[in-house]
Order: sequence, then C-alpha cells, then structure tokens
Amino acid sequence: MEIKHQSLSLQEKLNILADAAKYDVACTSSGVDRKGQKGSLGNSHAAGICHSFSADGRCISLLKILLSNDCVYDCKYCINRVSNQTTRATFTPEEICTLVTEFYRRNYIEGLFLSSGVVRNPAYTAEQMYRTLYLLRTRYHFNGYIHVKAIPNAPAELIEQLGYLADRMSINLELPTTESLRRLAPHKSPASILKPIAQIQHGIEDYRLSIGKDRRMERHRTNRYLSGTIFETVPKQRLEEKAVPVKTASSAPFSSQGKPFVPAGQSTQMIVGASGETDYQLLLTTQYMYQAYDLKRVFYSAYIPLNEDPELPAPDTPPPLLREHRLYQADWLLRYYGFQASDLLSEERPSFNVLLDPKCDWALRHLELFPVEINRADYSELLKVPGIGVKSAMRIVNSRRTSCLTFEHLKKIGVVLKRAKYFITCSGKMMYRIPVEEAFITRQLIGEDRRKSWELEHPDACRQLSLFDDFHIERNG
Amino acid sequence: MNVFTCENNLEAILTCIYDAWASKLGHRNLRLMLEPVLEPELFCDYIHTEPDSEKVSKVIRSIWKKISAEAWQMVYSCAMSCVPEKPDIIYRFLLYGFAYGRRALEMLQEPAVMEFFALDRRVTNEVHHYREFIRFSSFPGDVLVSHISPRSDVLTLTAPYFADRLPSEHWMIIDDNRRTAVVHPKDEDFYLTRLDPEEFSRLSIPDRKDDPYPELWKGFFRSVSIQARENYRCQRNFLPLWMREHMTEFQ
Repeated sequence: MEIKHQSLSLQEKLNILADAAKYDVACTSSGVDRKGQKGSLGNSHAAGICHSFSADGRCISLLKILLSNDCVYDCKYCINRVSNQTTRATFTPEEICTLVTEFYRRNYIEGLFLSSGVVRNPAYTAEQMYRTLYLLRTRYHFNGYIHVKAIPNAPAELIEQLGYLADRMSINLELPTTESLRRLAPHKSPASILKPIAQIQHGIEDYRLSIGKDRRMERHRTNRYLSGTIFETVPKQRLEEKAVPVKTASSAPFSSQGKPFVPAGQSTQMIVGASGETDYQLLLTTQYMYQAYDLKRVFYSAYIPLNEDPELPAPDTPPPLLREHRLYQADWLLRYYGFQASDLLSEERPSFNVLLDPKCDWALRHLELFPVEINRADYSELLKVPGIGVKSAMRIVNSRRTSCLTFEHLKKIGVVLKRAKYFITCSGKMMYRIPVEEAFITRQLIGEDRRKSWELEHPDACRQLSLFDDFHIERNG
Repeated sequence: MNVFTCENNLEAILTCIYDAWASKLGHRNLRLMLEPVLEPELFCDYIHTEPDSEKVSKVIRSIWKKISAEAWQMVYSCAMSCVPEKPDIIYRFLLYGFAYGRRALEMLQEPAVMEFFALDRRVTNEVHHYREFIRFSSFPGDVLVSHISPRSDVLTLTAPYFADRLPSEHWMIIDDNRRTAVVHPKDEDFYLTRLDPEEFSRLSIPDRKDDPYPELWKGFFRSVSIQARENYRCQRNFLPLWMREHMTEFQ
C-alpha cells in the first residue's frame, strides 16, 4: 500500500479522490457574505456562485475532494468501503492547500469541500482535516468558502475547532431510519451521527447569540409573510419524535467569543432508493431536521448502484432521478412556500405522484381553495397556486398596487400560465371557461406534465440528428 | 418623426436622452437610436447629439433624485447592453420614472417598464455568468489574464467583484470583442484601458506549458461527473455553448 501511495502523481490522486467524492451531492457555496481583505485570497457571497457544470448537469462550485479514500468502515452502499478493491490515495494537507489556492486564483472554484474516508480512526482523520484547514486559513491566507464534513465519532474538541475554520459543516444522515442504518452502515449508529449535529447546532447558536443575532438561522424572507411554516418557533404541529432517533443531550456550551462558528450553517444528505423508506418518511425526517437541528439544507442523492450486495438494489437499477426531483420540489415547498410535510403526503399516500409535481398534486386535492383572485389574494395565497413562484408572487403583489393585472400581464411577469390558469381569476374572470373539476384539471395537467417527467427519466433519449455525429461525416471535408 | 442619434457609449446615450427631452417635440414624436443609422427612413429627421459631460451629470442627478439609486444602476447596466434599441428603452422608462418616482420600479404591467426590466435582467445575468465562468491563466510574473467575448459590455460591472475577491493579485480581464481591458495591479485600484493591437496580440497567446493547473482542473472536471446521471441538456441549460469558448475545461 505504502509504495502505491508514493508512486501516485498529483493528477492521479486528484482524479481518484474527486471521483470518490462525487457521490456527495452538497456542492453549494451559499449562506455567508464575506468581503475580501488585502493580503488574503478570496471572498464569499451568500447567494453562492457556481463555477462550472459537469456532464451530468450538476454545478461545480467547490473543489469537492476526499482527504483520503482509505476507509476502515464497511458501509454497504459506499464505493470506498474497506471490502472494495480500489486504488487508495491520500492527500497531504499541503497538496490540498496549493490545489485550492491555485484553482481559486484562476477562478475555477469558489472554495473547498473536504470530506474523507475514515483513515485509521475517526480522531486521526479529523485531525488531518483540521491541519489542512488550519494551514489553508493561516499560512495560505485563504478567505474563500470551506465546507467540511464532520467525521462521526470524532472527538468533540476537533469538531469544535473545525467549526471555527469552516463556513459550513455537514454530517450525512444517509439513511433516515435506525433499521436501515443498522443494516447498511453497521459501523454507524444514529447517536454517532446526531451527536455531532447537535454539537454543531449549539456552537452555531452560541455564536449567533454572541453577535446579537437570533438563535435560529435566517430563512428566506418569504417566510416572514407566511403563517404556519415549519420554521416558526412554536410550530403548529410538532412532529412525533418517534419518526427519527431521539435527539441526544447537548454538549457543553462553547466559549466562542464572537469568533465565527460555521456561519453558513450545517446541512445533511439522505440516500433515496437504497433502502425501503417511503417519500413520506424521507420528507418527515427532512422537516424534523429543519425544526429540531435548524439545518440550513437537506440534500437527497438518488442511489446509484456501485456495489453488489444482497441487501442493496441490483447493480443495473437506474438511479431514481424523478423521485429525487420530487423530493427536492417538496423540500422547496417546505422552505419557501409554507407547506408542512403532512400537507403533501400522509401515511395513506406515502409516495409522490409520478405525473404531477407536489404543488399541483396538493392543489388538486384542495380545489375548495381555488380559484384565487390575483388582484386581491394575499401573498401566502398566491404562493399556493401552481405556476406562481416566490418571485412572481412578489412581483404581482408589488405591481397590482398601481393597476389591475390581466392574464397578459401575468405572462410577462413570469407566471407559468399553463399550470396557473386552472387556479386563478383576474378581476373575477378565468382565462378560459374552465370547469373547476378535479378529473378535468388532472387530465389537462398530466398532458402537460407527462412529457417533462419522461424527459427526466430518459435524458438525451430524443435529440436532433447531427450530420457529423450520426453519419460520421468528417468536418473540414 | 424626429430621431435623435448618438454613439454607443454611456455619455453619448445620456446626452441623447437629455437632448431629446429638452427638444420639447413631444415624447410621441421622437425616437432615440444608436449610430450608425444603416437604414434611414423617409419622413424622419435625424438629429445627431454630441456627448456633453454637463448634460450627463444632470441626467444622472435627476435619476438619483427623482427615482432612486437602484434605477440609476439599472439604467447603467441597460446602457452596457448590446441591444441597439437601448437608448429608446431607457428613455421610455424614464418617462414613467420621472412621472411616478420610485414607484415606477414596481409598475411591471407597463410595457415600457417591463421592457426596461427585461433588458436590465439580460445584462445582469450575463454579468453574473462572467463572475462564474471567467477563467484566468497564469502569465509569467504571476499575472493572471483572462479573455472574454461578452455580448454586453460587462467589464465595468464584473471588475469590482474580482477586485474584492483577488485584492492582492495582479490580474486583467480582456474583452476580445471591444479590445478593452480592466487592469488590476496588486493591492491597488483597477482601471479600464483600451489595448492597442500590439499589446493585444502579446496578451492573447496563452502560455500554459509550464502551468500544471489547467490540466489538473480538466482532470478534476472529468472525474467529478457521474456517468449514470449524464445529462448534457441540463448542462447546456446552465452553461450555454457560446460561453464555453474561453473556458479552460472545454479547451
């Protein structure tokens, strides 16, 4: 093994460790605004900045790498599990630092996303990660974005120190129920995952209180105009805590003294389709994580079969991309539109409609609330209309102050009328003579929607013929 | 119909707006246009306007005072766009702006305001794209040089961002279409300059042989994509083909 390590070039290491890290989905560089400073490199924008888009259409914002793909654990779904025969590589902290600063100077990346397999033991791994970040922030004067994974079971002091250097931290929940975690990730326990999450949450709270901010993270401004959102301090419906393992006791309070501690908040990630969880369970867990741990984001990753194992789906199973897409749509409904998980799904209907997006689906089950009058309805009512988003609802509210809006105006404002027209009136009139009937509207909407979901499941299945590629005609004669 | 024409730069456009307004010919009876006028129409009087810094500052001051600072920013970015109708679009918006004040920015149902917003959005979106997709290459002497061929004149709008981001680096961004460049010496303020052909050709040769990082980046770019999820249409949506010309990973 050692000889192999030495012979790998930097390029090979980078390829191996980027390849091993790519199944982690979080690549956002958002959540913190930081000005540049003379003498150091970089700044940060709260909106996040993408720097490229890879062939799978996912954004590349951060240099997403593992410190090492050497791992002592044997999680069934993971490509780096100890029982896999793959080439193992490990970066030195200096290598990572030069890569980050040189890439950043050329504007390739927005910062670093550092994760790692568990080398030797969690403490050693976390220490190596800490050394990397420390060098990067102090000796290399890097002022850009850093997202670091906390290693489950690592000592609390190391996690705390990592938090002072990073902008965002995350620990992957991976599987939302205890049983599937025990089955597929035998070395991890719910407690070992939730303990650091709670620890980071308390660190963030202390830091925020110490600089005079609210204890909880800022949410999108639309939430201020809505009632009954999941972020209200006293949520209307407290979820029963049995859905997710119980929150562990909080750790000792930090003495942060105003030093930024994970200012961009923490996130987590769940695998979709590796074990038998329903969409409802996933969404409930999502909501619980937002409410109980004040996470900034929950990510979903469609399970891609990498290992053969009797416990896992067969290797040729296509990744459940549509399901992942629906979950993200629902996640947005929770965070921006004031929906609750229980509005969208229930025990009886635990899966999303394949043909309709969650908001349309919800609207069709609540036709008693529609049609909504565009010139009168308040912001929260507008938000519930399919085809009207956060931006267009705000534009409607602002522009209708001066004069009445018509369908023509709505189209220009950015409302998707092909969905919205069934649910709205302008000055008391619908766009066409549309019966407000569930069966009729469903048929109409599905006709519109089917093409889109088919395209999601079969990307690039239909495309334009190309003389050069399909008939092998040489360019330049 | 009277047509006021001007050159394609900020001062000329603002002066043109001032002159058109001051002519008192009636807003309906006049139009603003960029020079050169390639297809003159019958029954139109073409009136050329010369840039005048006093008129420019008057227009800017009125926009600030009567509408808002935000409106001025939008006027500025619209003036940077590549759309030939831009002087007229700005003029039509200012009619509303001066009549209704800052409320005009919310009157999206008026076609003139809507068109103005759409133009502003086009430019700011392009500016944002260049924040994301500008690629620097390292030249001898630790100078970072980037070439772009933007549709709108985005240099003055992107430079402040990079000045904040890379304050202690020598860098320059060159607009290949307009032969202009923003130059930022280490720890100093940036400035805008015009490149003569000789400078331009000297800076256009990418000197990458001794720089390992472009290759490392390309390797990373390839390995980070997941084969089972390949989706080129999605990639093209986010990263249009015309922007890829100067991007390291697509060369």
